[in-house]
Amino acid sequence: MTASMRPDARAKVLGQLAFGADLEAPGMLWGALVTAPAAHGHLRSVDLAPARALPGVVAVAAADLGPLLSGRSGDPERPAFPRETVTYRNQPVAAVAAPTLPLAREAAAAVRVVVEPIPAVSDVEAVFPDWPGSDLGASPHVAAHVLARRGEVDRAFREAGTVVRETYRTSSVHPVALEPHVCVAEVHDDRWTVRTSTQSPFGVREDVSSILGVPEESVVVDGAWVGGGFGGKGASFVEPYALLLSRAAGRPVRLALSYREEFLLGRTTLPAVVRMETAVTSGRIVARRVRLLLDVGTSLPGRDFATGYAIGFLLGPYRCPTFEIEGYGVRTNKPPFGPHRAPFAPQCAFVVESHLEHVAREVGVDPLAFKADHLWHDGDTTALGQRVAHFGLPTALEAARGVAEEWRRTAPAGHGVGVGLGFWSTNTPAGGEARVRLTPKELVVVQGEREIGTGSVLVGLAAVAERRTGLPRDRIRIEYADTAHAPYDAGVFGSRTVGALGSAVDQALRNLLATLAERWGGRSPVTLGWENGAIVARAGTARRPVSEFFNAAESEAGALVAEGKHYGQPGTIDESLVVAGTFYPYTDFTGAAHVAEVTVDRETGSVRVVRYAAFHDVGWVVDPLSARAQVEGGVAMGLGTALTEEALWSDDGRLLNPGLVDYRIPTLDEVPPVDVTFVEGFLGAGPFGAKGLGEPPIIPVPAAIASAVRAASGAHVTELPLAPERVARALKSR
Amino acid sequence: MTSPVLRLTVNGRPTALDSVPVAERLLDTVRWRLGLKGTKEGCRTGGCGACTLLVDGRPTLSCLTLTHEVEGSGITTVEGVSEDPVGARVQAAFEAVGAVQCGYCTPGFVMTLTGLLKERGSAEAFEELLNDLAGNLCRCTGYASIVRAVAAVREKSP
Repeated sequence: MTASMRPDARAKVLGQLAFGADLEAPGMLWGALVTAPAAHGHLRSVDLAPARALPGVVAVAAADLGPLLSGRSGDPERPAFPRETVTYRNQPVAAVAAPTLPLAREAAAAVRVVVEPIPAVSDVEAVFPDWPGSDLGASPHVAAHVLARRGEVDRAFREAGTVVRETYRTSSVHPVALEPHVCVAEVHDDRWTVRTSTQSPFGVREDVSSILGVPEESVVVDGAWVGGGFGGKGASFVEPYALLLSRAAGRPVRLALSYREEFLLGRTTLPAVVRMETAVTSGRIVARRVRLLLDVGTSLPGRDFATGYAIGFLLGPYRCPTFEIEGYGVRTNKPPFGPHRAPFAPQCAFVVESHLEHVAREVGVDPLAFKADHLWHDGDTTALGQRVAHFGLPTALEAARGVAEEWRRTAPAGHGVGVGLGFWSTNTPAGGEARVRLTPKELVVVQGEREIGTGSVLVGLAAVAERRTGLPRDRIRIEYADTAHAPYDAGVFGSRTVGALGSAVDQALRNLLATLAERWGGRSPVTLGWENGAIVARAGTARRPVSEFFNAAESEAGALVAEGKHYGQPGTIDESLVVAGTFYPYTDFTGAAHVAEVTVDRETGSVRVVRYAAFHDVGWVVDPLSARAQVEGGVAMGLGTALTEEALWSDDGRLLNPGLVDYRIPTLDEVPPVDVTFVEGFLGAGPFGAKGLGEPPIIPVPAAIASAVRAASGAHVTELPLAPERVARALKSR
Repeated sequence: MTSPVLRLTVNGRPTALDSVPVAERLLDTVRWRLGLKGTKEGCRTGGCGACTLLVDGRPTLSCLTLTHEVEGSGITTVEGVSEDPVGARVQAAFEAVGAVQCGYCTPGFVMTLTGLLKERGSAEAFEELLNDLAGNLCRCTGYASIVRAVAAVREKSP
């Protein structure tokens, strides 16, 4: 790897880049949040007087917002601070700012918050003990209900040769970006400016506008280098509080969550229970029934996206003519459900893969052959009627099977080899726009995102520009601008950056090249090159410096500018199958097959992963080293979901392990070498057929590990994570 | 409660600090008093290693160290470690193999590895080095590229 391929590496190893956590402003105050002392209750009073009595302290709460915002009001359903009811423990109810952080924390602790408790809901199974089998639709605890059906499901189950029924449980997992949520806010007159560590500057602008009731054009969001996102920094979090404090103080305010608060307040994937039923006749699946009870925390009714999106993953990438899927998103007194790298998909893949492997064993067929027999191929339709196209998973599975067979032959006694599959939907329809500026010396891509670490912005967009124009990567520079100056983009999430924003960049470049071609008397195709210290336009064997094509205004400005946009089309599902609720279509199919080899300690149930191989359908490899790094990192994160990560909630909505000592993510000595193989040629909707790769690597991991654990020890574990006590229990119950 | 003057040598420069509260952590002194923000704040409870710097050459969690505890010591941060040939080699290896994604954990890894190599010399067994790096967390890379960087440093060791 050369330095130019990862242009931020040098500054990062020298410690020179300013992350969000490193921002400050002259005269800045430090903020701290005051949080609810109970998970559910009537907010009787928030007494700020003891905080205000400390010298230099500024404090705000809901009651103060009216005057602060000059009569404006934001979305009544999502106020910055609750007015009447708190719905999760540690929900922010007020905020304070002070000249030092210790004083801000002291002031926050001095605020007297009185909450009259109401019984809290935490465990979804305790709320609905009769599930499945009862209609929960009318319950106030239901945030979403989705139901779809095709064919005569009951009859298919009655007439089937074999029916297998199982219940699975998955855990609550946290993104654990090492940099906490942090921002510096500054309000002057009617300009609300916030510099923040975010995956979506424009998303933060929209949220701030909606929550505070400030027009979008008055809000300016400026990004910073992001110390890890993983979905956790995709929406606003600390920004509205910091802006309110700055408005009240008349000074800039820095507000950062402590790492403990990251856990206590963080939006995260919450626990779920899944009932899987599969009917098989003569080795073929004839019908499936899937029921999901998903904890969505305090997500608002009608705004829960998780249930209707996630449930489709529970059918897996498999053909199934007759099915019924029903999901309930259940409101609990926990923070709202939030994204976490491929939200809920690794959990779904664990459930469907483990279940189908179990079904295959029950009917006496080879699990991988059984899966391969039912796997989607191009031209198939998903359960909900979406056509599958350019799908590389069957090819990835064939390669993975070969490796799994070899590892089974060569593995020492006591080792087990397992395979897990997963699919994902990339290039989401969320849109993006970009501007390119061609100068005689460099090509600049002006856009709205910041690099969160994957390389999708700094490396991915540059690689697209290199391939489109022919200009070497070191003559291409990615420039970031704040929301007042950058073209709009939805955000660095959903594995969409190279696919969607990259398509906008590509469109801008095609417009740029078309302009050059037109000004060159219609020569085509025109590409760019770097020759003798200048950027030249090339057509056939002809070469001319690009500056010769600039008009008078462009010559004066020193650049030729072009713009592009990309707003993708959502897929469509067969709505005639939908009985209730909203299902969300997928947009661009990709998939991965993973192979794991593990050992299991039969006494303790402890699992050690020995080696690992991952096969990914990517369209084309945009940048080999970044692609490999995504898979290596995603696998490690998936090992956490598979083996150790579990946010533990008490019955009264208390998070019991809010820290990195008790919530364990994988460490260097726990991650095995990962062999990475890319399946190319199944081209997706991104530039030159690119498919997203940010999220897919985490998806098959828990499934592959569970499969390997079963192969090694016989333990069939139906709960995540596969912590030693669960594995040991499964071994004892055999 | 503060103490009048506290003396440290930071990246080779004698530094005198006034009015440092007794409870102030070295992490905060370095980042906010001295403006050396290459040292990162992660969990503040010793669980992630992002804040690692060198105190008299030894890798130290600055979030669990009171500034007054290290009075008179030599502090090396990621901003100053390039002056050390071992530190420069570690930084070059991380850059060359691309052992960097978001980069937030990177200074901590650079400082821990530099300190370990200085303490024990490059003859230190590879497995031992990796074992002792396991106190530094990284959520992006899956550690694979970091392990490659460690291997690269050892290959290039004199």
